[in-house]
Amino acid sequence: MSRILATYNIKGGVGKTSAAVNLSYLAARDGARTLLWDLDPQAGATYLFRVKPKVRGGGGGLVRLKSDVEDLIKGTDHPGLDLLPADFSYRHMDLALDGFKHPTRRLARVLEPLTGEYDYVFLDCPPSISLVSESVFEAADALLVPVVPATLSSRTLEQLEDVVDGGSAGDLRLLPFFSMVDTRKKLHREVVERVRAERAGVLEAEIPTSADVERMGAYRNVLCAFAPRSRAAGAYEALWREVRARVGEG
Amino acid sequence: MSALAAGSDFLPPGGMTLEAVARALAGRFEVRDGRSARALDRTYYDTFDGLVHGAGLTLSHGAGTLTLSERDSGAERARLAMASPGERLLTGDLAVSPMRDQLREVVEVRALLPIARVRIRTRAFQVLDDERKTVVRMMLEQPELMNSRGDPALGTRVRVLPVRGYDEELALVRRTLEGELGFAPAPQPLVDEAVKASGGDPAGISSKIVVPLGAQERADLATIAVLRRLEAVIEANLEGTIADLDSEFLHDFRVSVRRTRAVQRELKALFPPEELRHFRSEFRWLQQVTGDSRDLDVYVLGFESMRALVPETMRDDLEPLLAVLRRRRGAARRKMVRAIRSKRTAALLSEWSSFLTELPDRPEEDRADAGQPISAVAAGRIRKVYRQMVKMGRAIDKDSPPEDYHELRKKGKELRYLLELFGAPLYPGEVVKPMIKSLKALQDVLGLHQDREVQVATLRSLEHEVDAAQGGTGALMAMGVLVARLAEDELAARATFAERFAVFASKAQRKLVTDTFA
Repeated sequence: MSRILATYNIKGGVGKTSAAVNLSYLAARDGARTLLWDLDPQAGATYLFRVKPKVRGGGGGLVRLKSDVEDLIKGTDHPGLDLLPADFSYRHMDLALDGFKHPTRRLARVLEPLTGEYDYVFLDCPPSISLVSESVFEAADALLVPVVPATLSSRTLEQLEDVVDGGSAGDLRLLPFFSMVDTRKKLHREVVERVRAERAGVLEAEIPTSADVERMGAYRNVLCAFAPRSRAAGAYEALWREVRARVGEG
Repeated sequence: MSALAAGSDFLPPGGMTLEAVARALAGRFEVRDGRSARALDRTYYDTFDGLVHGAGLTLSHGAGTLTLSERDSGAERARLAMASPGERLLTGDLAVSPMRDQLREVVEVRALLPIARVRIRTRAFQVLDDERKTVVRMMLEQPELMNSRGDPALGTRVRVLPVRGYDEELALVRRTLEGELGFAPAPQPLVDEAVKASGGDPAGISSKIVVPLGAQERADLATIAVLRRLEAVIEANLEGTIADLDSEFLHDFRVSVRRTRAVQRELKALFPPEELRHFRSEFRWLQQVTGDSRDLDVYVLGFESMRALVPETMRDDLEPLLAVLRRRRGAARRKMVRAIRSKRTAALLSEWSSFLTELPDRPEEDRADAGQPISAVAAGRIRKVYRQMVKMGRAIDKDSPPEDYHELRKKGKELRYLLELFGAPLYPGEVVKPMIKSLKALQDVLGLHQDREVQVATLRSLEHEVDAAQGGTGALMAMGVLVARLAEDELAARATFAERFAVFASKAQRKLVTDTFA
């Protein structure tokens, strides 16, 4: 059975896509059969893997189970790692889901035929609270939440906990971790310290702000592949070890 | 469809080097030419009898990874990081992993042995699209045999590995290779080419006896053909038996000796009596000196299932018994290896071989059946032995002594060998196959009965030794429970016997035997 892991935050620009591509890359590198579904119509992950952001039948075809999901998957340049690309039509996925009796169960249904084929399925989600994100909560075993250590981030986390607890998300695990941490900034250091003191369950690994992470877009490649010895890549390695220990092998 | 779809190998037109192939490809496609060639050592593994090959798979080790892949497509099934497995790999030694589970299903107790070693100069190529995304992977490989002594060179090949979702690009690459560039699809995977070049057979060495026979063939010549094949299996399994590579070598060795003896006994009118007596006694000796070792193999291999017969809380108490069994097995093996390596065994095998060679030219006055058609001779024996079994079985009831069951089982083995060696190639499958099936069902129950009988006796004989070991008292108590369970099995086997025998000896079956083996 696949483990389904979603990277999610209500806010954008927090290092969500970067986490999704690097963690899925590391999973595949360790020998796990891995799929990344780029659910974000901005298609960041799809762009990084140099795949055309086009899915035959669009998001509607997928959630209506009209498209054969297995035929839409593209192999990436990295052995063992496949991609279900983004499509511009995903921006209307809420509308497509709204027509169903149990809209939040749809994404899980879409993924059903793939559960035997992959050890890990990563979902890179668009930043919002919507039927899409609720559907993701329903499908996923764990939610990886990048948190930028700014004053508002604790609140974001609380909000998210409310959303998750209030929904029908069952035994979804919330795995928050600090992202884009700049240890030179006093504020960042303070927030990290305070949040760790106030709440348990925040992962140990911290992803630093880094020019290397930003270079991913220019290189159109995964950081852990083109700069495996960089500090940020090391942080993703540590994060992956922690996540894998929490969710188990696929 | 798997995440890694089918791929395949291509051979460049004669004599092209790795570099020339690379130039030709770069001229036709947008490529990323990985790095300069690097050398990679790869060892292929299979069981002695080629089970991995038979399952359509390839197992290889290289660059710290054990890889199981599909023979035809090259698609990967499982991989496992491990240091070199060396000269022998048992699935029991592997880490718990999908690799272990998949291999175990294919090879069971058999050891994986190196069948070919190659050093491959490889150069990675990727065909790119207009986004410079990899759409087809290629691996240029220039392999050579390691430890080769002037062996024929292996050809350069190009492995074309698909990327999921890029089928059109893959088709274009294949068309270009085959059309414009004059490459040919490789007729065999690299592993086969390497094994053949090292003098081996990619399908392994089978211990199956399949000797086609003609119904009118002279009985002595047909039988010699069968015995020759049995002799080959005995010889083939000697080395692995002595080296203790896995338990199947000894098993196959003993089955072939037993089959040889069955042929000697059942078709005795094909042989000069004086010499036959000598060979029968020598083969009986060979069977005896290998018996203890096989019995103890079975105990050690089946220990887990014996453990499962006692309550969970007592299972660990049985450990001292396992230690005693292992010690005994070691001692029995040493004794057996001495016997197999002895002059007596060497003399037996070489004399037997000469005897088979010379037999057709010997006078026929003391070999009454030699010139008869094999179908007539075999049919007569099959009918006879079947009738004997029916008679013996009818005399058995729940209170019969264990020896009666044992004698019937021994007779059953004779019939089974006659059916397999002579019945199957000479008579219709629709008669022989169901007959073997009902016989097997009967033999299973007789086998269980006999095994349990012997196991109980063996356990009793070990009580003293186990008692002396540390933790011996607990072990003795657990053994007591075990003995009781084994005895229950024996009783249950007796209860099933009547039902199985009824099928085997039914009126319809008796008529079929009489009609077919007239």
